[in-house]
Amino acid sequence: MLQVDPQDKARLIDPLFKSGPRFWLAVLALGAIVGWGGAMYVRQMLLGLSVTGMNRPDYWGIYIVNFIFMIGISMAGTLIAAALYLTGVNWRRPITRIAEATTVFGLMIAGLQVIIDMGRPDRMLSMLIYGRAQSPLLWDVASLTMYLLISMFALYVSLMPDLGIVRDNLPDRVSGWRRSLYTVLALGWRGNREQWRRLERVILIVSILIIPIGVSLHTVTSWILSTTLQPGWHSTILGPYFVVGAIFSGLALLFIVVTILREVSDLKFYLETRLYRRLGWLFITMSIVWFYFTYTEHLTVFAGQEAAEFPVLASKLWGADAPAFWGMVILMVLAAYLLIFPLLLPERWARARLFRPRFALATAAAAGLVLILARAPQAQAVVAGPTTPNLPTALLSTGVVLVVVVGVSALALLKRHIVAGYIIASAAVLVAMWLERWNMIIPTVTHPRLIPWATYTPSLTEWSLTAASAALFMLMLLVFFKLFPPVSLWEVAEGRVIDEALAKVEIPLPPQSGQARSVR
Amino acid sequence: MNLPLDNPIVHLLYQLFNTPGLGGLGVGFIVVACLGSIAGGLYWITRGALDDDPATFAYPTPAFHDHRKGSEPSRK
Repeated sequence: MLQVDPQDKARLIDPLFKSGPRFWLAVLALGAIVGWGGAMYVRQMLLGLSVTGMNRPDYWGIYIVNFIFMIGISMAGTLIAAALYLTGVNWRRPITRIAEATTVFGLMIAGLQVIIDMGRPDRMLSMLIYGRAQSPLLWDVASLTMYLLISMFALYVSLMPDLGIVRDNLPDRVSGWRRSLYTVLALGWRGNREQWRRLERVILIVSILIIPIGVSLHTVTSWILSTTLQPGWHSTILGPYFVVGAIFSGLALLFIVVTILREVSDLKFYLETRLYRRLGWLFITMSIVWFYFTYTEHLTVFAGQEAAEFPVLASKLWGADAPAFWGMVILMVLAAYLLIFPLLLPERWARARLFRPRFALATAAAAGLVLILARAPQAQAVVAGPTTPNLPTALLSTGVVLVVVVGVSALALLKRHIVAGYIIASAAVLVAMWLERWNMIIPTVTHPRLIPWATYTPSLTEWSLTAASAALFMLMLLVFFKLFPPVSLWEVAEGRVIDEALAKVEIPLPPQSGQARSVR
Repeated sequence: MNLPLDNPIVHLLYQLFNTPGLGGLGVGFIVVACLGSIAGGLYWITRGALDDDPATFAYPTPAFHDHRKGSEPSRK
């Protein structure tokens, strides 16, 4: 029988067998959204894709936006877990299972988007029966399948020892099917030395394989766009741009899922704030890289001024897609501000009057009032001239200045509440990345080469299926973490032993070079 | 004119890349290879339980790597 630390048992195993009203309420709410989505899908199947906003020439809508977004957010999980495993980072241990689970369920939802988008799911088989090796769509199917299978394997293999531990430490009163579930899934796990050696060897090989496969998945997805001659897509930058965006949005999702589990399942003991600080450096780096790539992508189109490409850029900058584009930019700037600036505020400045929460609140109220006034209808001047006072512009400028002051005065608060800052930034990044995927797909399909332009507005069916997909993703995570420990028991126990051993080691100071020279 | 497709190797590659169904076959091969590797990996791990070592551990430590089968885990 495998032993487990009593505290780990109380925190990670026992809660698996207690389901309060909060859990069932969440299942019911998410299930209702999924059910609504299912009904809308049946309606779409019966009436055809005419119930969507898609039409000639915009054959791709938010289903494909969702597909690329979900591929992106799912890429980072296993990739980060594998990279941290290979580099021997000890603090990775509590988050690896969460990262791997988000990858597996994210990929499933991504695959589902393609099936929804096809209208007739039976046509998926045509891809295999008539598929030609030259088609990037087929490469994507191959890459997605491979990444999903290997991610599932990675999740399962690291779960095996925990299944053995749960099987051996079940509470007294447990239903028969739960007992059978852990017994069957543990595959007779004993945890002898040979089995551990083999398990660690397999995890090492999977960790090595998963990084190139993960990168291939996202670059291959970008090739679906960039191997065409459509304006805005025929670019070599899309591959790395997709990968950067994927890691960035995947980290944002990881922060959100980790925080929800930390607060709802009371896992603060394992998911400490130091995780936020350490993963936060990578998050900040990806934010800066993302800005650079976004600038580069648009710079090449702007500098080229090519007749077919420029309308796509114009649509983003001041056309029909401008709200999505500028919304993305504003949210990303907000996220970067929340991530970077609290770190720059010196500790002694945080006590100044400017950084008090009450001052920030008062300034926010003033900013809101001024911005409302700026939007209010104004009396029109009879004769406009250079000296005519422009009240709305003055109010708008004042409002913007006040918003900046609010941002500055909130810095001390954000510095103290690091988790809150990361959550707001992560939510902003997720929404912005979805808008980025919109900006990548929709402006091009509505401004194609040689075909008359069109507009695209998603229908209720599309929004319903999008909401249902998000709800299904959350539901799968919820059920998974109710059945299996969200934090890897064996990895955390191993990490604890390593930390304790390292704490006993006394590292000597280096020899003083200056003194050594003077002795000579 | 000497066209690339006149070359039999290029012609063969062209056929391979453009024949309907061959791509699907490739995907099928990848899926079978992945599933086979996964099944093999799981089988190999589960067979490890048959080792006659009586000691079992709830978690490994880096000390495992310094030891031969049958000896006690290292204290260093």
